[in-house]
Amino acid sequence: MKKLKSIFSPRKLIVWLFILVLMLTVPEITKPAMSQTEAIVTMLCVEKKDDKIDIATTVLTPSQDKKANYEVFTGEGKTLADAVSNVSLTIGKNMGFAQCEILALGENICDTGVMSTLDYLTRTKKVDRNATLVTFTGEAKDFAQVVSDVSDKKSLKLETIINYDQRYIIAQDSSIETFYKGYYSDISLGIIPKLEVKNEESPDAIEVQGQSSGTGSEAGQMPQTQSKKYLLNDGKTLAFKNGKKAVEIDVDTIKKVNLFLKDSKNGNVTVENVNDDLYSDASIVFSFVNKKLDTKSSFKNGVPKYDISFEAEFIIDEVIQENPTPEFLKRNKDFFTKEAVRRLKEQIKDDLEETIAYCVAHNVDLIDVYRTFHHKNYKEFEKYLKERKENYLDGIDYEISVKVTTAY
Amino acid sequence: MTVNFRQLSIMTFMSFIALKFLALPSLLYTVSGDMSWLVALVLMIIDGIYAVIIVDLIKKNQKKNVYDFMKSILGPFFAKLILIVLLIKFAIVIANILKGLEFFVVENFYTELNWIVFIAPLIGVISFMIYKGVRNIARVFEMVFIAIIIGLIYIALKSFAGVDLLMFIPFFEFGVQPLFESAYVHLSWFGSASFLIMLFGCVDFKNAKKFNLIRYIFYAIGIVQLLYIVFYGLFDMTSPTHSFALSDVSQYYGGRVAVNELSWLVVSLWVVAQAIQCAMYGFCFVKAVMYIFNIKNSIVPILILDAYMLSWVIAGKNTIKLERFFFSDFASIITIISQYIIPLILLFGYLIKRSRQKRKHKVVKNEEIKVNI
Repeated sequence: MKKLKSIFSPRKLIVWLFILVLMLTVPEITKPAMSQTEAIVTMLCVEKKDDKIDIATTVLTPSQDKKANYEVFTGEGKTLADAVSNVSLTIGKNMGFAQCEILALGENICDTGVMSTLDYLTRTKKVDRNATLVTFTGEAKDFAQVVSDVSDKKSLKLETIINYDQRYIIAQDSSIETFYKGYYSDISLGIIPKLEVKNEESPDAIEVQGQSSGTGSEAGQMPQTQSKKYLLNDGKTLAFKNGKKAVEIDVDTIKKVNLFLKDSKNGNVTVENVNDDLYSDASIVFSFVNKKLDTKSSFKNGVPKYDISFEAEFIIDEVIQENPTPEFLKRNKDFFTKEAVRRLKEQIKDDLEETIAYCVAHNVDLIDVYRTFHHKNYKEFEKYLKERKENYLDGIDYEISVKVTTAY
Repeated sequence: MTVNFRQLSIMTFMSFIALKFLALPSLLYTVSGDMSWLVALVLMIIDGIYAVIIVDLIKKNQKKNVYDFMKSILGPFFAKLILIVLLIKFAIVIANILKGLEFFVVENFYTELNWIVFIAPLIGVISFMIYKGVRNIARVFEMVFIAIIIGLIYIALKSFAGVDLLMFIPFFEFGVQPLFESAYVHLSWFGSASFLIMLFGCVDFKNAKKFNLIRYIFYAIGIVQLLYIVFYGLFDMTSPTHSFALSDVSQYYGGRVAVNELSWLVVSLWVVAQAIQCAMYGFCFVKAVMYIFNIKNSIVPILILDAYMLSWVIAGKNTIKLERFFFSDFASIITIISQYIIPLILLFGYLIKRSRQKRKHKVVKNEEIKVNI
């Protein structure tokens, strides 16, 4: 024991520790950098084509000149795992999805169901659950190429678009996590923004220009063709039920849906043909700056009742009138005339009613009716659902009240 | 070598939160759903009650170590039998912590981890801490304790805006039975007071106030509940897929691009705390081995512990059946015995012995009075 103690005395222990550290760390230090064996995938586009999975990946290649170089690699296979494996074979590296922030799903995938695609990526945690989902039209490689053909400064453009969508258009995030939560909920509903790759010049499109990613071709142009491709975001959103596309929602409808969403604090409402002492056939654009929406669910004689109370502060953003009067120049003029306010309230009520009608017609609960009833009137709602599970929105009695105040 | 009462309270706090932020929240949800927070709350309150009972016993028997205490009330055979059960309990907790650490590092830091490179220094540090004694472990806990509390509260409050409180109602949506089932299946993750049994004779009760211990237990329960509410409120139906609760909550940013470097600091600090926790249970393991086999020197038991940790890491990972067995019924039964039955045996044994002593003392006193008369 004495000998053992002398071998492991504190001074000698430090030496032993040093030897141990050397033995364990030197082999690890001499290993090649992971970037030589792993491809850093920042975006993955998946589409289904003729019973095969077609993928395009945007791979970031670190370089010494501080500019981010994005390259697009494509592959196909019977399954997503096959396709990824084929891309790995092509480029000679493992596909590393840890930095993948965007997962883009093609039209065909949306029609046939997205869950199998997501399963491959999330089952073994290849992609972070906070990665954003978008849908696209066209070919996967076109979409990936358009997105990657940007300079370093504009490389955040797609993320910028998506962030804008999430804050102001659909007013909720479209991450994989949120989609999963929606899919596994009782109503199995998910929302994903839609982006399009346009094949012609369009004044609405965001022209993507910048330095190319090492192919030598002009920015925004495909090497093989002469046509220009654009990324178009017109606010369209896809609603999914049971993992499959249920309905495509246009931006006007989405803006009305946002009136119901608590996360949506900003938005505008246009009222047309306002006529009174101040306005003459004017269209007024009101913006709300603070919105409060309260919903109350109850049952009356077995009939579900959904009370919606909308309250917001408004400012007038724009007045479109052919011949504005000198009154418009007065700073202390109250532009919130009685007629304007009345029409605004009416318009908001109409928008809310239209949204409800839209949800009922397409059987998509975009306004959280199910959740409210399920959590607050559980027993009665379960009874109600026994008869009307498939079209529960239809049998509900909606009551809307609107309160409008000026922000100044 | 002794710890003071404040250090003991901090160790109790750390033991209470130790395994609660790994896979436990996701595992609980698979059985008890939205009411999982209640399962954790009730079990932690029970743990708290037992912690107070055990500390009270320690206070009343300050001069005895655990083996001497048990020998005096149950005899040497049953004392060693109880120590064997406790040894198994500590081994289960150590395995749980190591499993959690390995999972965390592989999933979040480095997928191609050479586990030996990671675990060997860790085992070295743990062994050194145990060799230096319980006061050393307690002091390290004291150093990181405040940072951990602040860090955990920060992580919880940072993500609170995304919490959907509505998902917690209605209460008992699927009845009460899943809660009992969940409590039984996941019992091995609780039983946080069992380590205190090994601290007989190691606590200095000067200026000790029982309320302080209760206060720290209350803090632990509060922080765990806060994080559980945040976890379930954020992830709801997808909770079962989030197997490292603290990391996933800290990285949740609701879809908006955000950089959360500070969260990683907190998570890394918590990982360090886990390693210290491993040392604490390792200390209990070593002490149990010493008492069972009458070993005076701690070096051999420490080497046995090292061999166990290394073998678990190498063999336990690749043997799923063994892993499942270890963490299910067997572990639950051991926890029930070590956490809930053994302290009661010790308590009642002590009370019976004390009442006998009092009676004996009374008889002797009466006889003395008779003789005097």
